[in-house]
Amino acid sequence: MHNPSDQFRILLSRVDWVLMGILFALGGIGIFNLYSAAGATDGFTVHAVQAGWFGVGIAIIAGLSLVDYRLIERWAYIIFGTAVFLLVLVMLFGTELNGSKRWLNLGFFLAQPSELLKIAVIIVVARYFNDRDHEGPLGLFQLVKPTAIVLSGVIFVLMQPDLGTSLIVLAIYGFMVFFEGMRWQSILIIALLGLMSLPFAWFFGMKEYQQDRVISFLQINDDHLGDSWQVRQSVIAFGSGRVWGKGTQDGTQIQQGFVPEHETDFASANWGEEHGFMGMLLMMGLFMALLLRALWISSNARDHFGAQVGVGVAALFFSHIVVNLAMVTGMLPVVGITLPLISYGGSSMLTMMLALGLLMNVHMRRSPLVSR
Amino acid sequence: MTNRHSTHSAGRREKRAGGGRYLWLVAIFIVAFLCIIARFWYLQVVRGDEYWRASSNNIIRDIDLRAPRGNIIDRNGHVMAENRPSFDVFVVPHIFNKHDSAQTLELLQRYLHLSDHEVNTIKKRVQSKVAQVPVRRDVTRRAVAALEADRLRLPGVEVRVIPHRVYPYNHVGAHALGYMAEVSTDDLQRLSPYGYTRGDYIGRMGLERSFEEVLRGSPGIDRQVVDVRGIPQGEAETQFLIGDYRKITPVPGRDVVTTLDAGLMETIDQAVRDYPSGAVVALDPRDGSILALYSKPGINPNSWTGRLSSMEKRRVDNSPFTPMLDKTVNAYFPGSVYKIVGAAAALEEGVEGVHDEITCHGGYMLGGRRFRCWKRGGHGPVDVAGALQHSCDVYFYSIADKLGTDVLAEYAYKFGFGEESGISLNSESPGRVPTKEWHRTHSPHGYQHGFSLNAVLGQGNTMSTPLQVALAYGAIANGGDLYYPRIVSEIRNSEGETLFEYPPKIRRALGLKDSTLAAIKDGLYKVVNEKGGTAFALKPDNLEISGKSGTAQVHAIGSVRVANRDKAFQLRDHAWFVAYAPSKDPEIVVAVFLQHAGGGSSEAAPVAIDVIKAYFEEKERLASPQLSASPAPASAGDLD
Repeated sequence: MHNPSDQFRILLSRVDWVLMGILFALGGIGIFNLYSAAGATDGFTVHAVQAGWFGVGIAIIAGLSLVDYRLIERWAYIIFGTAVFLLVLVMLFGTELNGSKRWLNLGFFLAQPSELLKIAVIIVVARYFNDRDHEGPLGLFQLVKPTAIVLSGVIFVLMQPDLGTSLIVLAIYGFMVFFEGMRWQSILIIALLGLMSLPFAWFFGMKEYQQDRVISFLQINDDHLGDSWQVRQSVIAFGSGRVWGKGTQDGTQIQQGFVPEHETDFASANWGEEHGFMGMLLMMGLFMALLLRALWISSNARDHFGAQVGVGVAALFFSHIVVNLAMVTGMLPVVGITLPLISYGGSSMLTMMLALGLLMNVHMRRSPLVSR
Repeated sequence: MTNRHSTHSAGRREKRAGGGRYLWLVAIFIVAFLCIIARFWYLQVVRGDEYWRASSNNIIRDIDLRAPRGNIIDRNGHVMAENRPSFDVFVVPHIFNKHDSAQTLELLQRYLHLSDHEVNTIKKRVQSKVAQVPVRRDVTRRAVAALEADRLRLPGVEVRVIPHRVYPYNHVGAHALGYMAEVSTDDLQRLSPYGYTRGDYIGRMGLERSFEEVLRGSPGIDRQVVDVRGIPQGEAETQFLIGDYRKITPVPGRDVVTTLDAGLMETIDQAVRDYPSGAVVALDPRDGSILALYSKPGINPNSWTGRLSSMEKRRVDNSPFTPMLDKTVNAYFPGSVYKIVGAAAALEEGVEGVHDEITCHGGYMLGGRRFRCWKRGGHGPVDVAGALQHSCDVYFYSIADKLGTDVLAEYAYKFGFGEESGISLNSESPGRVPTKEWHRTHSPHGYQHGFSLNAVLGQGNTMSTPLQVALAYGAIANGGDLYYPRIVSEIRNSEGETLFEYPPKIRRALGLKDSTLAAIKDGLYKVVNEKGGTAFALKPDNLEISGKSGTAQVHAIGSVRVANRDKAFQLRDHAWFVAYAPSKDPEIVVAVFLQHAGGGSSEAAPVAIDVIKAYFEEKERLASPQLSASPAPASAGDLD
């Protein structure tokens, strides 16, 4: 039973092939989509690089599956501390691009520790709620401590400044708290506090460019789209795809370079233009399958930590998908959130793969490693 | 199973029943996804046709609007470099490729008489992802009319009016003005952050290059929505698709007002017509303003800007007279025009008094070697003024023997020799003033005292540029102030408002005693105005000119003196003459350098004196308008 090769065989038999299938389908769409859009960018082979990152991601899932997630649980605070430490390093030695300091230059790769924070928050919050016993729904005061822990990381992301990532992290935390159970009164009070702090956030927390984005978003239906050239072109790209799309590599909006960042945040605009409403339905269906699978794995986890990790991973994907798609269709201001597995970029891909690796781990160890 | 589970994770919290919350989560996920899908439904199904019409067949075209380059203007308002409209033909690949490109090319070839080679180049270049491929620049109006008439059969072919650089004075002043050329690939790597793109022109040589940032404006963009044939779309569609992102207006370049005198430069061009190679610098000694920078042979910037014929390029590349070299700022042996340095040093250091005489027997003995004077029979007793007047070598051998190389070098630096004058044009040479230290590191046998005897004559290892010589004589002429050369007086915007002025600037005061300056000036006066002066034969009747001739030996004299005309061209002497006038209150300094032309007084002096005479004649003509002005009665407009 404790023979390592035996264990490995059991592990292999417990791989969630449904999850892997969804993962490969979405990754394939992402790579194919980049290949199709690459024509707009003077032949730089982004799709090949993306395929490389996808391969690295699969390796990460495989590697992570070998480590029992309870080891990760034990190390939760160290992992979270490391992520915060890296964020401090970014603040001190980070590379600045487009006015915000988000990257650590590793020579071969610009790493984005705020991505790691998303994973670290899932782990640390799951550990925290696993350790604390409480009767019934959580009260407001019971939330002070975990909220303080999460904010100690988020604050550095806000300072970069990176509003989008901060909100994603808070959303993940919110979902995990919701799953833990909360009193309705608490939810109401938090909502009120949030509303009251909006003006303060506007005047003191937001940079001018962020305010511009919000303003341009609120004016979305005006004839003059002052600052949202990007969104306008993206909306036209989606709309012009109609029901069945224009066909691969025939998306004029993207191919003519109308849509800036059509490889990263706005990658789905290419998919929507070339494959239309049906293409989007397919993509949304796959994403929904991924989310439901994550919740299913969570519900089958052997302990509370595993269940919380499953919910956190689902929340991570959900918030990324919703914020990104709402942003590219003009329903939310542009905040720079990627579409998981579709957008080009190593940092985003690795984050999502780490999350899926955790999920896979929880699934594989839903019961002790013994052969049935 | 359950049993084993519980024992295995003893002390760990069991999973709590979260079924209800899972349902909530699923509900939240589904509602959010439905919202987004509803948005897609609205955009892609409900309004899909509308967006499809807007995007299909519509192509956004960014047309670069070239900013007109600033003019280069001379001191009298004559334009020396300006723009005229040029009709340039381009092919826009992403429109061109969507149609019958073979037919289009065939038509293009017929209308523009393209060679097969050119057609092949276009075929190759339209395959790459570029915004436009230039076909031909500066086509005739007839060709433009033909292309416009047949426009529907030429999808993707465009004629654009683009400012083209012209230089009305052709080769006169080509080195000072420069010319324009397309940016090279290397330039682009460096300059693309500054908004240069392929096909842009950039100043090469002269002011065009030194004042590139000033002359060049910033280009604009005209963003249009066009259909597949390249025909601009209507207002409504344009507004729907690109909103207010329409146009960035170009900022025209600034005008550069120079201190040059185009008329004088044409006069110089005439005066040196018999000589193949040389340089003339004319300046105003009162403020260091450059009146003329003339280098020969020149190039015609009009033929170098735009399409350069290979014949013209070969002609210039193969010329033995280095046409691309600006000889006004290139260093040569100055010869006897350099003697003012020795004269000033001797008088200032007290080696000789103003009226002390040295007797010239035609040679000077030093260390068993005889240094010859150019006049075999000798000049007899001469003082410093006489030595300059006759250009007596022995006088200068004697003082150089006493002063030594380093003291001579010190005075040479005072006059601005051996360092760049700061005109920042055409990679100016600093020239060379040899010192002991320099000889120690550069001469094969180290320093020898005899070197100073060569240096004082402007020979040996002494090198100066015609500009340095003119500036040094300017400092003598104006009573001791060495100026920075000033070639640009102001920068104006396209409306004619002055943006920036370049006032005259003194580089340093020579710090010579008045008696020294007076003695040198006296000597220079006698060169032209007293019997025995090297240029006395050329003395004009109504004008007092001072000057100094120089005949720089390029090749060491052997034991036998060979007449200049019997030597190979490259071994012949350089002819120099520097003159200023009027002798009392000089207004102009002219330095003439004729490469390998022979004797300074016989070849260069007539040129310099002709130029000065022409300058004053022109000045007189302008001062008395009744003689020059047309007989038409003066109107109010003439007073402006």
